[in-house]
Amino acid sequence: MGGMAHGNHQLDTSIEIVTPENVSFRYHVAGPFRRLPAFLIDLALQAVLLMIAAMGVQFMSVAFGLSGFFLGMGGFLIFWFVLSWFYGGLFETYWNGQTPGKRLMRIRVIGTDGQPINGLQAVLRNLLRAIDCQPMYMFSLNRQLIMAGFLYQFGLFSTLMNNRFQRLGDLAAGTMVIVEERQWFQGIIQIDEPDVIRLVQQIPPSFQASPSLARALAAYVQRRLAFPAMRRIEVARHLAEPLARRFGLPEGINPDHLLCAAYQRAFITDTPGDVVEPVSPFAKTASLAIDAASAGRMPVEVGESPFAALPTSEGSRP
Amino acid sequence: MKVSDLLQARRKDWTELETLCIQFESRATACREPERLTRFASLYRSLCADLALAEAYQLPPEVTRYLHRLVGRAHNQLYRSQEFTISTWARTLLFDVPQQLFHDGYLRLAFCIFWGAFFLSAVLATSQPGYPEAVLGAEQMQQMEEMYERPLGELDPEARGLMLGFYVYNNAGIGLRCFAFGLVFGIGGVLVTFYNSVSLGAVFGYMSTLKQWDNFAEFVTAHAPFELTAIVLSAAAGMRMGFALINTGGLRRIDSLQRAAVQATPIACVGVILFVLAAMIEAYVSPAPVSYGYKAGVAVLSAGLLMFYFVGLGMPREAAR
Repeated sequence: MGGMAHGNHQLDTSIEIVTPENVSFRYHVAGPFRRLPAFLIDLALQAVLLMIAAMGVQFMSVAFGLSGFFLGMGGFLIFWFVLSWFYGGLFETYWNGQTPGKRLMRIRVIGTDGQPINGLQAVLRNLLRAIDCQPMYMFSLNRQLIMAGFLYQFGLFSTLMNNRFQRLGDLAAGTMVIVEERQWFQGIIQIDEPDVIRLVQQIPPSFQASPSLARALAAYVQRRLAFPAMRRIEVARHLAEPLARRFGLPEGINPDHLLCAAYQRAFITDTPGDVVEPVSPFAKTASLAIDAASAGRMPVEVGESPFAALPTSEGSRP
Repeated sequence: MKVSDLLQARRKDWTELETLCIQFESRATACREPERLTRFASLYRSLCADLALAEAYQLPPEVTRYLHRLVGRAHNQLYRSQEFTISTWARTLLFDVPQQLFHDGYLRLAFCIFWGAFFLSAVLATSQPGYPEAVLGAEQMQQMEEMYERPLGELDPEARGLMLGFYVYNNAGIGLRCFAFGLVFGIGGVLVTFYNSVSLGAVFGYMSTLKQWDNFAEFVTAHAPFELTAIVLSAAAGMRMGFALINTGGLRRIDSLQRAAVQATPIACVGVILFVLAAMIEAYVSPAPVSYGYKAGVAVLSAGLLMFYFVGLGMPREAAR
């Protein structure tokens, strides 16, 4: 278990994890710019809690006089101790690797093997914050109150020196912080440009995109709207020209439209019997595309599609 | 069947899993309902199957990314952090830790550094006139002198709660910092231990030359065993991590560190517990206007408990292995 992307295999901040279900999936590790706001939120929350505790002390000293103040202050100091050393450890244990700040920033601490952390790891990585936050500098506002500031250089340096952005506490505890991004489902992109719809019918329905071609088409269609029309043609030409030759299409077809049509053909349903009533936010455009596709119907060999023999996964059976 | 049909067919399950994830994330009780749980598990398994076949289905990259994130999210809900259970911690603290400490070279090292520097510093403080001032500074010396000017019974008994809080905050904080600094190749731990013991030794040495010694000695007797043991334990736990980076025992440095850190954390926790016990004694027994014999009894009792912990529980037990 725990197949990791090591060193030179890793191009970006994603980390691969193999689950007990024997499927590998990718996480993005959280860098300093996502962890700092989470830390600051936690710090602010701790400050608020301390302020509430201080108000409690004030209340006790008003209610019970000097002895109330002494008792309250003792409790306040113990609370401060627990908060400053075990805030992160306790939250990460009981909130499954998250503190309030981490939850707001949608990051989570997990083990480097992808397993959840246990209480010991959570406590350890937070105790070692004392070394990560070094060097410390002391300053005095009015020569009475000496305050300590932490520069977090040790931790920052450590996160930059390894490919999982681990600070020293993470290294010792064998943990890492990952981004737990929520993402809404985005289905197939529907293209309702009339030129494209017309062009789809000129592509043979038996067209099967190879895996790399399918990836390229999907990547192109997803990003094309970010480019101006001229630039789209420039980019699409390299793939569109060989495709046009393969389909036996005349010259002079807009390469952008050809790629979109090939995408439609490769990804979107073309057997009218299969059409399910679309429920997506793309409902209107989807039905448009389906209508257009089924308008100029040609026989399709469904049996050849790799999707025809689709295994029904157990989850679909309640 | 093309990709769009596939998505249409599977999407219902994915959305249902997503909804369950949101419920599990927001309400802890939601994950205890058996029907939801079994539904979640089966949806998760089928999602895993979908992701595993994503390449074969030629799903668009955006959909694959969505699946990766959903698997990650569901994975984190299914495999949750193990919370503290009292029985495992009791077993760790009362069985594993003393067994381990019995053979712990770092504990011996921390012990030697601490007590060696302590006595050296104490001797220097009594014999070299300029030494205490150089170590402690004139301000702290004067503070100490004033603090123990009066007999202990005159201290305000109502302030004890405050002092308890202060001792926990300050002393246990020092111990944990000592533990954390041990990570710096052991040197950090050695330096912090050395610093603590030299300044403590200087205080003891200096106070012994003054007329306040009686008050001072009476004050420190009761809590000394717990407090001084706690600081040595914290230092030893830190050194274990730091030296694991140097003496890796054939492992990669990072693996050696992780192994040592897992062993060292319970030791540091024992240190914190001892600091808290010491703080209670220091706040409620040490300044109390009772006879010295009573306080010495507390010291003997706590030293006996420590002996039992380190030797009685720590004695290697072959049968248990």
